[in-house]
Amino acid sequence: MKREDLAHLLVGLVVLAAAVALPFYVDSRYVIGQVTLGLFYAIVASQWNLLFGFSGVFSLAQMALFGFGGYATAMLCFYFGLNIWAAMPLAAVATVLFSLVIGAACLRLSGAYTALLTLAVAQVMYLLIVTDTDCFVMVGTQCRQLTGGAVGFARFGDLGTRAMFKAKFLVANYALVVALFAITMVFTWAIIRGPIGLAFRALRDNPGCAIARGISRFQMQLLVFGLSAFFTGLAGGLYAAHFNAIGPGVLSFSQLFFIIAMVVVGGIGRLWGPLVGAIVLVAADEAMREIGEFRSLGLGIIIAAVMVLMPNGLIGLFESIWDRLRRLRTRNPAMTAEISGDTPA
Amino acid sequence: MEIIGPVLVSGITTGALYALATLGLSLVWGSLGMLNMAHGTLLTLGGYAAFTAASQLGLPVPLAVLAAAAVGGVIGALIFVLVAYPLSRRSPETFETTIMIATFGVALTLENAVLRLYGGQPLGQPLSVGGAINLGGFALPWQNLIIIVSAIALMGATALFLTRTKTGRAIRATAQNPDAAKLMGVPVARVYLQVLILSGMLAGVCGVLVSSITQLSPSLGADPMLKAFIMCVVAGLGNLPGAIITSFGLAIVEALVQFLAGARWGFPALLAIVILVLIRRPGGLFGRVEVRRL
Repeated sequence: MKREDLAHLLVGLVVLAAAVALPFYVDSRYVIGQVTLGLFYAIVASQWNLLFGFSGVFSLAQMALFGFGGYATAMLCFYFGLNIWAAMPLAAVATVLFSLVIGAACLRLSGAYTALLTLAVAQVMYLLIVTDTDCFVMVGTQCRQLTGGAVGFARFGDLGTRAMFKAKFLVANYALVVALFAITMVFTWAIIRGPIGLAFRALRDNPGCAIARGISRFQMQLLVFGLSAFFTGLAGGLYAAHFNAIGPGVLSFSQLFFIIAMVVVGGIGRLWGPLVGAIVLVAADEAMREIGEFRSLGLGIIIAAVMVLMPNGLIGLFESIWDRLRRLRTRNPAMTAEISGDTPA
Repeated sequence: MEIIGPVLVSGITTGALYALATLGLSLVWGSLGMLNMAHGTLLTLGGYAAFTAASQLGLPVPLAVLAAAAVGGVIGALIFVLVAYPLSRRSPETFETTIMIATFGVALTLENAVLRLYGGQPLGQPLSVGGAINLGGFALPWQNLIIIVSAIALMGATALFLTRTKTGRAIRATAQNPDAAKLMGVPVARVYLQVLILSGMLAGVCGVLVSSITQLSPSLGADPMLKAFIMCVVAGLGNLPGAIITSFGLAIVEALVQFLAGARWGFPALLAIVILVLIRRPGGLFGRVEVRRL
């Protein structure tokens, strides 16, 4: 366990160093913007990984929670005139409460039942927002729906980075997202490292045994659902603040499965899996920009192929290659010793 | 009173469609323990196959429907051979979740292939029939009647197939206990393949029926699939007769809610019912409470 901690710490420091170095070497606003977007995805994916990879809860409501965080931030600013820095943590707390309600309804069941119910909840949320046409307030001569309708919210507040850093504000926003990502990873690691993390993993690996040892499945899974909702909601809030806009698009099916694909490609139940997956998929997405129209098609093939060919993802593949190499190295002297011992003198 | 008729007609029509979509889904879940996220796409493919056969190749209607069934069956078989079988061999303990992700990948791929081939604009399904018969006060459109009758006929045929034929018996035996079936000499892998082909064929025809009252679009199957999921869950996953009864019941409730409260509240109402039912009966309305040995 000690060695594993050290390895995670090392990887974390390398990732952080790379993230800090990036804006000094890359000038392109486009690249910085895409990396920022990738990090948002990585944060949500890491929380879905905590939920599914480490605790075995197959929820399909992760983007709904992300969207809830974003919408809550936007609506707190828009309707109550709150400062966006105050709105984000409030929205994150609201997302946790919302997730506990969803969890209470959906987590009594397990496996595919949970997946279907959470998917239905997310879909209902999307439909209710998109079909919202009743006027709630009038903005100038334009009618505005309570939930923003199909358009969503825009220009509801500002992080203040634009005024402070002028042209460099994009890098400042990037730094904020890197910070949030770092905190999220430390948080995730602290949870899976601690006793509740062990309980989560026990429930994933052998629910029967875990329940027999006195772990309440419902309570524990509700706990991890709520825990994973906090940073998902906060990331949603920062996403809304960064783009100064939020719309129902984040709740769409394809966004959700983009997140899931990241965890799958990186490695389910591996701490750094979501980050690896986010990097690979955002890069693949960029590469497929050339063939524009076939992006989603390629993404679908990647998901299905990775799931079938390497179910433990890139990190799992790396682990097994590493394992084999190490065994080769250690086996050789042992084998020679055995053989020399066996040979009659 | 005169409004009850149309609401019932629309409820029963969508109920028949949901039941047909649910049947294929439930069949696969019941025997393979696999939630096929690509089921909706099979519906879409069926609808487009019929469109191609009827209006682009000019084939007669029965052949177009057969083409839809064939395309659904072939894709179903491919899903089993390329995705489900290798996945179940490699990691049987995580199959329940990994197959959902993998079949979603398949769905994404196929849906985009349809989008590339036919474009995103909605197309009219040429197999629709106009006109209506007057049933003392309200009109029953021929199209709805055809949908209801063909859906019920297909369900009946499936039931006969499952109960009266050797293959059907093998399917039911495998669903009950794959190990025992294997010991009795049932080629389980082949049965799984047959189940997916059957489910694909049903989905293909269901897609033709769905598109005949709406329009063809690449996301045609998404809504029926989501509803079919809900029906399956309420009925108890894998329970065929229960799924059919639930489909009709909930579709009528949905039609009523849509009429009384507006179209956007239909789905939320369904979801509320599902959650309430599941809190009372976690195994679904007709599901047996499973006793699992650990």
